[in-house]
Amino acid sequence: MIPDNACENLLSSCREVAKVLESKQVSEWEVFSTQSWGMEVEIENNRLNLAGGGGEGGIGIRIVDSGSYGFSFLADASKASQAVEEAMKVAKVSPSVKGFELPTDSGSTSVDGLFDAKVTQLTPDMLMEDCDYMLSKAKDLDDRISLLSGGVYSSATASAILTSNGIEDSGKTTCHSVSLQSAIDEDEQLTSSWEGRSSRSLIKDYDPIIEKAVYWTKITRDPLPDGQEATDTPVLMSGDGFSPLFSMVVPTALTGEKIARSESLWADKQGELVIADNLSVVDDRTMAGGMSSSGRDGEGLATSKRKLISDGRLIAAIWSTRDAAKQVADGNVESAETTASASRGGHHSPPSVGCGDLSLTSSERTYSRDDLIAQMDEGYVVHSVMGAHTANPTSGDFSVTTSSILRVEEGEIVGSVRQAGLSGNLASALSGRVILGDEVHVKGSYSSGTMHLTDALLFEGLRINPL
Amino acid sequence: MPGASERLLEDSQIDSALEKASDLGAQYADIRLVSLETNSVAMRDGLLEKSISGEDIGATLRVLANGAWGTYSTTDIDSLINNVETTYRLADSIANRRTSGQDSVELAQIPIKQDRIDWHPKQDIRTVELEQRLEIMQNLSQEASDDERIISTTVGWSDEHIHNELRSTEGMDRCWTWQRSLIHAMLTARDDDSVVSYRTRYGGEGGFEVIESADIAELGVESRHSVVRLLNAERSPSGSMPLVADRDLTGVYIHEALGHPCEADLVASGDSCLDGRLGERIGNEIVNVIDDPTIRGGYGAHPVDDEGLDTVEKSLIEQGVLKTYLNHRETAAKFDIEPNAGARAQDGLHRPLVRMSNTLIKAGSHRDLDALLEDIDHGVYACGTRGGQVDTGRGSFQFAAQEAWLIENGELTTPLKDVSVSGMTLEILNKVDGLAKDAKLASPGFCGKGQTVPVGDGGPVMRISEALVG
Repeated sequence: MIPDNACENLLSSCREVAKVLESKQVSEWEVFSTQSWGMEVEIENNRLNLAGGGGEGGIGIRIVDSGSYGFSFLADASKASQAVEEAMKVAKVSPSVKGFELPTDSGSTSVDGLFDAKVTQLTPDMLMEDCDYMLSKAKDLDDRISLLSGGVYSSATASAILTSNGIEDSGKTTCHSVSLQSAIDEDEQLTSSWEGRSSRSLIKDYDPIIEKAVYWTKITRDPLPDGQEATDTPVLMSGDGFSPLFSMVVPTALTGEKIARSESLWADKQGELVIADNLSVVDDRTMAGGMSSSGRDGEGLATSKRKLISDGRLIAAIWSTRDAAKQVADGNVESAETTASASRGGHHSPPSVGCGDLSLTSSERTYSRDDLIAQMDEGYVVHSVMGAHTANPTSGDFSVTTSSILRVEEGEIVGSVRQAGLSGNLASALSGRVILGDEVHVKGSYSSGTMHLTDALLFEGLRINPL
Repeated sequence: MPGASERLLEDSQIDSALEKASDLGAQYADIRLVSLETNSVAMRDGLLEKSISGEDIGATLRVLANGAWGTYSTTDIDSLINNVETTYRLADSIANRRTSGQDSVELAQIPIKQDRIDWHPKQDIRTVELEQRLEIMQNLSQEASDDERIISTTVGWSDEHIHNELRSTEGMDRCWTWQRSLIHAMLTARDDDSVVSYRTRYGGEGGFEVIESADIAELGVESRHSVVRLLNAERSPSGSMPLVADRDLTGVYIHEALGHPCEADLVASGDSCLDGRLGERIGNEIVNVIDDPTIRGGYGAHPVDDEGLDTVEKSLIEQGVLKTYLNHRETAAKFDIEPNAGARAQDGLHRPLVRMSNTLIKAGSHRDLDALLEDIDHGVYACGTRGGQVDTGRGSFQFAAQEAWLIENGELTTPLKDVSVSGMTLEILNKVDGLAKDAKLASPGFCGKGQTVPVGDGGPVMRISEALVG
């Protein structure tokens, strides 16, 4: 799948671009190159639908001149001259940020588990066999089940960075993903559930993913009668359902630039209690096998693990090099330095600040889902929500909809609700009484980082409005 | 920058690739290339934050063999020829794993054309200098930020020149180009008690003339008024109540609630509440809905779909009756309906799916907003969109407004914030009981379905007799 010399080839491209940059006497520059190879097999309506493969890549160029920067991207090094001139043109009209320079080499952190040769050894036939297995396993669990969509995907990516300030590195990652949407369409009632998992290493056991999808498809059938009252109530958010809301609000609020500019809901709260005092938030860019971890950040700096909220108190924020320099230059903070928290979404854009592998932990005892339901006594369990992307990251307010919701009475699930609105404020909900579950669920994307969340029993600040 | 007549696919290479696919036994194969020249600019509080320009080229080879698809996508165009056999084998392997009862893919017949279509802009967006872009963005930023409670104003610009080429084993040989231009702003305001944000967008298909047609100052002033109003807005009441939606929200509503379930690939996968309902009345008879990529200036406009079919207006609902699904060649054949050019791909690296373009509810008979409000005792008037989402199989949807007002005794009273609306497609289409006379496309948007494509949505101001507001 991935050539043995992939990293060398990318570094070679970077050097080719670097020659152009040096010939044009650019003082500070950074060349980032990436190339990925992947293949997929798709399921559609209980059959294998399609198999595909391919690859993509390109080069991003960032230049800095007296604190001003420009960026451009290109498909391959042969067009470097034009791209460099474009970046220089942009830098000329960009405002100068006093103190902004590209970073110098700080080494790299050793992070295990980012590349698994077994993923690269997967063949299309193996992916097809896996999809066939998913189809048969789901039917074994309940012969009414249909797999409407889903599939298996494998990829390998090589990246390289070369800068005028001495950073030169390259590396490879792998990704193995499985997803499925299961459904039961019977008696004029369709229930469904989407589940998925991505891993840097080979996913050996698909059963938990299939079983979870089938569980939620079955348990949400034959809902309780419509017309229940809207109520402020405890809600047990499953780790899967909580992640999209959490990732819309919390990573943004922990960005140093947002805090400095008073755009974070936790602006002016340094050292203060911002969530319940049993909770902590840790941003780890060095997690073994972490989907958002690597030895260097998007600017080439050595990564680290940082506690951002400790026992409920905001103690740190995440910064990139330019954000830190700009907020100091603008007088919004006295001092700030990069925390090696720059992320890259590919070669199309410059690095920007973002979380890595972000965890919410509790200093108190954690519980199984059954125990959490028993402790809730009365309320709802919500597994997935629609519209998490409409949550307001500047205030934490949200109003979403769910069809994966169960009613709990006297500590037991008594049935599902056809559809309900779930609204509230995430910061308020996390500031009330919160009990976390045992099992960590992993969800994420490059833009907000990867969330490592357990089930979360939130007692305050949430309103359920059944259809 | 491809010139007016320049082709990026090399004829001899592509001929060889397609011939090879046919020789191997493919029923059909095509190669689609997309070159995207893009510019995006971001300005923060009146200062340039970043400007990114570049060109992306990607191509996808699709091979249909024994009723199954194999695909190969790449940024290395020269590698296409070497991957024809592998791609054929992928399709063949999928076909061999199917049981006899499982459908094979067939394609509806469409006209085979060899031509070039250029939707020429009045002013090519690629000729606009960065300084000119910055000047316009600066104007918007200044107008939008003129209030001390506004702590951040981000103005963005993005434009694209899109160049498509499609060759197929059927002899299709088409090339088509068009442009899109967009300006947008995000304002954040803060006072002692709250932080709020408001987003505005203006844009469409076309070159610099799109931006020139905007009243930039007015866009800034309206956004400023909205974000400041939100600072003092109250939380929305929750429960079932009458809802009046402005043009933006009407567009998102019809996109989410009806448009997605109308996509025939979702119907085919068993994931649409509209499966088996062609010809059925699913909405109030005042509801007429079209999807029309030929509306020039709409953000979802494009001349040719990504399977080479000329785009057309699709009438999805007429007087409340579901008339057709949005489809591509595979689903048109499956449902035995007329192909209606609904195939769209995000770029050259993605395969075409069935997608919306410019989706509108047609105008009704109510005079204006006041006429729709006058007999509502207690309800919500919601404006602008923060996006939405739909569960097409269950037929449930959710969308969020940017700002709203309480309706009391036919009058707009208290400003509201964080209003969202949810419901069931097959219930709420019947509850549309009022449409104003002024239907047109609203703000440009983006639609995600594994791939992101630009869309235009809109309609008139719309009244729903009962919606779940939260």
